[in-house]
Amino acid sequence: MKNSISRRSFLGTTTAAGAVSMLPLNHARAASGEISVWKFGGTPQEVEQWALRNDAFTSANPDVGLNYSYFNGQIRRQKILAGFQTNRLADVIIAFGQDIPEFAGFGMLQPLDDIAGDKIAEWKERIVPEVFESGMHDGKLYALPTYVDMASFLAINLDAMEEAGFDRPPETWSELREYAKAMTKPDRPGLAFPATTAPVDINIFEGLAYANGGRIFDEESGKVTLNDPGVVDALQFYVDVIADGSTPASTSLTETFFRDTAQLFGQGRSAMWIGLSWLNTPWGVNDDVRWTGVPMPRPDTPTGSFEPVNAIMDGTAMLMVSARSENPEAAVEYLDFWSQDDQLEIWGGQPEIARIPAGKAAWDNAELKEAWPNWVKSYEEGSLFAGAAPMPRFIGVSAIESALGTAIQQAVLGQKTPQEALDEATTAAQAQIDLIRG
Amino acid sequence: MLKSDRFLAYALILPVVAAVLAFVVGPTYNVATLSLTQVVMGQERGFGTLNNFRALWADPVFGLVLKNTAIWILGGTLLCVSVGLGVGAYLAIDSKVTGWLRALILLPWVLPDVVTAMAWKWMLHGQVGIIGQTLESTGLTEGTISFMGDPKLVMWMLVVVLVWRKMPLVALILCAAIRAVPDDQVEAARMDGANAVERFRFVTLPNIAFSLTAVTVISMIWITAEFALPWIMTGGGPANASQIMATYIYQQSFEFFNWGVASAMSVINLVMLVSIVALYLYVNRRSWASEASK
Repeated sequence: MKNSISRRSFLGTTTAAGAVSMLPLNHARAASGEISVWKFGGTPQEVEQWALRNDAFTSANPDVGLNYSYFNGQIRRQKILAGFQTNRLADVIIAFGQDIPEFAGFGMLQPLDDIAGDKIAEWKERIVPEVFESGMHDGKLYALPTYVDMASFLAINLDAMEEAGFDRPPETWSELREYAKAMTKPDRPGLAFPATTAPVDINIFEGLAYANGGRIFDEESGKVTLNDPGVVDALQFYVDVIADGSTPASTSLTETFFRDTAQLFGQGRSAMWIGLSWLNTPWGVNDDVRWTGVPMPRPDTPTGSFEPVNAIMDGTAMLMVSARSENPEAAVEYLDFWSQDDQLEIWGGQPEIARIPAGKAAWDNAELKEAWPNWVKSYEEGSLFAGAAPMPRFIGVSAIESALGTAIQQAVLGQKTPQEALDEATTAAQAQIDLIRG
Repeated sequence: MLKSDRFLAYALILPVVAAVLAFVVGPTYNVATLSLTQVVMGQERGFGTLNNFRALWADPVFGLVLKNTAIWILGGTLLCVSVGLGVGAYLAIDSKVTGWLRALILLPWVLPDVVTAMAWKWMLHGQVGIIGQTLESTGLTEGTISFMGDPKLVMWMLVVVLVWRKMPLVALILCAAIRAVPDDQVEAARMDGANAVERFRFVTLPNIAFSLTAVTVISMIWITAEFALPWIMTGGGPANASQIMATYIYQQSFEFFNWGVASAMSVINLVMLVSIVALYLYVNRRSWASEASK
């Protein structure tokens, strides 16, 4: 798989940015004054592109002073909460979709329906409906998505797969165990997965659990459902592949988070790894590693109490307008700028290929088709988002995911069985939820 | 004292008093009241409840947090001061090597916390860490060791990194104190036949008791307040095996938005620290008294 920037991509990007900067956007001139923007997280290419397009926004909106700051994605909740409490919250926050219910519950966000009513119809025209939905909460639009990530996916070293005698990727969990065993060598485990308490590592596991008909919380009853059979059996799958001897040492799994796992795979130090949809695209692989990415194999027979999903998805660059914004008009103008095809095409392969783009027009790009032919085919057939659900998002999600993270580590380390670990996690998380929700 | 002198004295200490009120007493009062308040989704719902403390006692993680915090504070302080005392005693010897070492030893102390944490995290990593690979290649271990991923090792490895980071300043302070011990007392002890250990035990130690007590208390406070090192290196994992008060308070406040419980923990943390320091000062009251009498 190729993920370097081609000359065509480079020329396309710079020309698009230049063209945007020259465009006289009449409607943009209505807004004026200062706005502050905080962006959290993103791949190196995305961070670079975002700053470049901000210059285009400033050129197109000379009356709007843009004060843009970038922060690590892992500190977003802390930074946003501190800003809210001290009345120094930015006008526009670019954060994760999973944050929306809590931020909205705290009164940190303005519903976009209230301040951008006249723009929303145009946004809907340009954005894939299923992705647009990811910005909704309680029937209101709180965020404008630019792309989504999906869980879970599997990266496969094709040479290792063929060497082990397989001619296609695994399709079920039992096949994956078989592949992992066959692809394991003394100095190279067959399968790696991250099992730290980093939120992405937990999202990766949730992808497996939701595919198995598990859920972590039942909104209707207000009950934590971490010990649902769908979640327990997904964790049992982790434990089984460790017991097979197909993974790095369990103590290594609990100290190696997603990015490091990707890099170890990229160096040929594991034959497969379970990740989000971007897999190795943000960081690349060594020249001698021939690889592909496929959807995570499915459970042989789903065992959970809920409807199994094909994938779970969430946007990690969702534009929201804060309740503290003193210039919502300019803030909405900024969102509108990012809803334009020129901006959304960043994730259509110009130059970013790590994300699933929100813009309809981005799906026509040849770069995206070259990098992810199966995605584009599924999108065109209308099946890409079929059976996909949002990643867990509700008030108290962090508390439950933290308890889940601990349970995953306890089971992976062999301290407890999956059932014991998840029973305890359910009790602990329920206490936290009751406290947070009053 | 003249009346004008008294006014001047009050005026001079006023900025300090104001700063202490604003930055110490104020926030402490705030945290104390918040710990007794029911907070739901950032909204205060009634003062005068012990619910936050009850929730803590019912939390199965909190017991582990207390145990880990004891290892972190007591183990860290004990090792920091004892290793610092040994290193300080060596640095007090006059030689070309110790002259250089006195400057070089401060290097770990001047590095930012984040750099220290990231560097150690990678050096201790099970698959790519240089320490594990060295141990394996020299035949000391059969395979590499995941120091940060093993619940049995992780807390002690954090203490080792903590000592590496905090010990240099302790050593330098004690080195200065040892060098200030009057030569005539040491010489008199030598002439009376005391060996090196006896001279250290009966002459040096009593002379540096004040510095030793002060540096112990300061180390304890530093270590209690240390957050970045454990958070960046482990995030409290694996399976809460390195979760300490500082990281758990942070998690409750900023990840779960559970401010009432976080405040209750901060109050417990403060009471524990004050109790330990008070007990330590009481046990070592003679060293303070003797210093005051000078």
